[in-house]
Amino acid sequence: MQLETEVMLFLTCVIPIFVGAFIMYLIRALKGPTLPDIVLAIDSLSYDLAAFLGILAIYFRSALLIPCAIVLALWVYALDLYVSKYLISREMGE
Amino acid sequence: MATALEWALAILGEILIAIGAFFDVVAAIGLLRFPNFFVRLHAATIGAIGGAFVPLIGVALLAAGCGFLGPYRWFMAGAAAVTAVLILILAPVGSHILAKAAHQSRTAVVEPKVVDFLEEDRAARERQEGAGGGEQ
Repeated sequence: MQLETEVMLFLTCVIPIFVGAFIMYLIRALKGPTLPDIVLAIDSLSYDLAAFLGILAIYFRSALLIPCAIVLALWVYALDLYVSKYLISREMGE
Repeated sequence: MATALEWALAILGEILIAIGAFFDVVAAIGLLRFPNFFVRLHAATIGAIGGAFVPLIGVALLAAGCGFLGPYRWFMAGAAAVTAVLILILAPVGSHILAKAAHQSRTAVVEPKVVDFLEEDRAARERQEGAGGGEQ
């Protein structure tokens, strides 16, 4: 019971730090001048969102949130691939 | 009642999560303040490895140490470790292909530049191709 209160207090202190970082990433993603800037900001945002989902899974005691983090990491890698393909050859891969 | 091993795992995980939160804020400030794309790439790699890989390892240790989460905590620990390894492999590859595409398509300027051999090679090749096309 003592460990539980300590862990919950720690996670409550850490979550606002992550949310503040997300807001800064979002500002860069919204005002990024070129396309690679936007994709880079969304890239970092999603990787950190995957870590944040792991923290939320412990905070809400729900194991169902963890597989979403794996899917998020893989889809953002696919976004990188498609945008690079578009930038080099001006067409989506088929 | 929590054992000493659970306390050790939980505190180790909390230290890693705290390090990850620090690097996350550092990377976000860098991404917001740096002047152009190739400089922002440095901050983005800090955010991917220091801000996502390290706290996910911390989540795995913390979930393994928290007995109050029930039997599903081993699933949480394993899935968090798998996500951490995936990010460790995929994030550098993703930023590298993005940087290569941005350089090759000239969407981003290389601003604090000492030397750029890739650009010089490409200019020489294009000049050669243009000369060869003119002869035919």
